[in-house]
Amino acid sequence: MITVEHLTKRFRDTIAVNDLDFEVHPGVVTGFLGPNGSGKSTTMRIILGLDRPTKGQATVKGKRYAELRDPLHEVGALLDAKAIHPGRSARNHLRSLAASNRIPFSRVDEVLEFVGIASVANKKVGNFSLGMSQRLGIAGALLGDPEILLFDEPVNGLDPEGIRWIRDFFRSLANEGRTVFVSSHLMSEMAVSADQIVVIGRGKLITQGSIDELTASAKGSVFVRANNHQQLLNALRAKQGTVTEQNDDGLSVSDLSAEEIGQIAFDAGVVIYELTPQRASLEEVFMDLTSDSVEYGSTGVRRES
Amino acid sequence: MSRDVSLGSVVRSEWIKFRSVRSTVVGVVVTLFLTLGLGALVTVLTRLHWNVVTPLQRATFDPVSTSLVGVLFAQFAVGVIGSLFVTSEFSTGSIRTTLSAVPKRYELALGKLIVLVASMFVIGEVASFATFSIGQAIFSGVVPTASLSNSSVLRAVVFAGLYLTLLSVLAFSLGLLLRQSAACISVYVSILLIIPIIALFLPTSWQDDMRRFLPSEMGHAMISTASVPNNFGATTSLVVLVGYVAALFAVGVVVFTRRDA
Repeated sequence: MITVEHLTKRFRDTIAVNDLDFEVHPGVVTGFLGPNGSGKSTTMRIILGLDRPTKGQATVKGKRYAELRDPLHEVGALLDAKAIHPGRSARNHLRSLAASNRIPFSRVDEVLEFVGIASVANKKVGNFSLGMSQRLGIAGALLGDPEILLFDEPVNGLDPEGIRWIRDFFRSLANEGRTVFVSSHLMSEMAVSADQIVVIGRGKLITQGSIDELTASAKGSVFVRANNHQQLLNALRAKQGTVTEQNDDGLSVSDLSAEEIGQIAFDAGVVIYELTPQRASLEEVFMDLTSDSVEYGSTGVRRES
Repeated sequence: MSRDVSLGSVVRSEWIKFRSVRSTVVGVVVTLFLTLGLGALVTVLTRLHWNVVTPLQRATFDPVSTSLVGVLFAQFAVGVIGSLFVTSEFSTGSIRTTLSAVPKRYELALGKLIVLVASMFVIGEVASFATFSIGQAIFSGVVPTASLSNSSVLRAVVFAGLYLTLLSVLAFSLGLLLRQSAACISVYVSILLIIPIIALFLPTSWQDDMRRFLPSEMGHAMISTASVPNNFGATTSLVVLVGYVAALFAVGVVVFTRRDA
C-alpha cells in the first residue's frame, strides 16, 4: 500500500507535483499515467525518499521510506535502468545491493536466472542493451522479494517478447497479493497491463479509478449502416439521437444504445446492414483527459503519419 | 525483528562496490607506481650526486623524507580514488539505487568512509614502508641511511601512509559536497597545487605564518624526521589535518543528507 497525501514538489520556479493525492493498493496492477514531464518520476523519487517533498508526504505501509527497517524486503524499485555503474558486472552490482540488506548471494543467482540474464552475469553492465539493463533493474527490484514494487517506464527499450513477458510478470506479482505500481506515458500499454490507473498532468491528479470505469465514463458511439441513411437520420433525430458523423458508409450515433437504434430503425422500416457499438479507446480517453496538461505539446505544423 | 540494514552490512556492500570497478584498481596501481617509482628515482639520483653535495646540505639531509617523497605525488592518485568512490554514484545515477537499499544517508556515508579509510590505510602503509625500504637499500654504502628501529623514523613512515589515507578522505568529502568528478578533482588539485603557488605571492612574513596550514605542507612535515622550518611539527600537522578532513566530511554528510538525490 502506497499513500500519497497532498504531495507538492516545487523546484526553483516550476511545480513538478501539485497537491497530489492517491493510494495504490495490493493485489492489482496500478498504472501511473501522464505525459512526459507530468511529474511521474518526481512522485516516484519522493515515494523512495530520494527527493524531499515541499509539502505533503508519501508513505509506504504507513511509514516514510527512510523509516523502513528492511527497505529491499519491503519495496523493490526500478527507476532508471541505465543508472548503474557501467564498469561493474551485473553480478557484482546485485551482490552489492544484496549485501546491504543481508540478502544471501544465492538469491542474486536466482533473480539473474529469473529475468534471463544469467549468461551475461559477469559482463560489464556498460555493454548491456537497454532491454538487458531493464531486466537487470527488475532483478534488482526482486532481490528482497518485496511486497511493493515500483517501476518507472519499465517497457521502454524492451522488444515485443520482453513486453509480453513483463506484462505477464506484473500480473503474476499482483495475483500473489503484491502492490504493483507502474508508470508509463503510453495509455495503450496500461490498457492491457493495468487494472487501476492514476492519471496526472502537470503534476496534478486528473483522475483515478479502474480501467473499466474510465472507458465507461468516456462517450461511446454506435456506427450504423443501413439501406436508407436519410430516413434513419430523421427517425433518430426524432428520438433525441445525435448523429456525429454522416457519410456514404454510414452514421455515427451517440446518446443512443445499439438496442435503441435497432428498435428505431425497425419502427421506421429501415433495413440495417451493420450496427457496431464503438467504445472510445483508452488512448482517446487519455488524450482527451490530458490535452490541457501536456507540458511539451506540439503546436502549429502537424505532420500526418 | 532485527534490522537488516546496519553499518556492518553497508560496509560489506560498499566494499564490493569499491573493489569491483576498474578505476579503483587503476588508482591503486598508480598510487604504488608514483610512490615507489618516484622514490626510487629520487634516491638513485641522490646516490649518484652524493659526491657533489655540499657539507651544509649533507648536514640537513633527511634519508627518510627523501625516500618518502613519492607520497607527495601519489596524493593525486589517492584523491582520484576517494572522489570517484562517491562522484561516480552521482554521475551514473546509481546513487538512487544505492539509497533505495540504504535510505539512511549518514549510514551510507559512514559505510563508504570506513571502506575507504581501511583500504587506503593498508595501501598507504604498504606504499610508504616499501618505498622507504627500497630507498634505504639504494642509499646503503654511499649515502647515510635511516633505520625503522629509530622511533622518529618509524613515525615518519607510518605518517606517510596516514597522509595518503587522509587525503583520499579529503577528496571523498569534496565529492559528497560537489557530486561531479571533474569539479571535485579540480578543487582537490587546486588545494594541493594552486593555493601554495598563490601563497608564494604573499609577503614573506604572511607566507611563513600561512604555509603551515596548507595540507601539502602538513604532508611535508609528516614525512620528515626533523621539523621543517615554519611548519607545524609532525604530530600537530597530523592532528590539524584530521581536523580539516573531519570538518569537511561532516559538512559533506550534512549537505548529502539534505539535498535531493
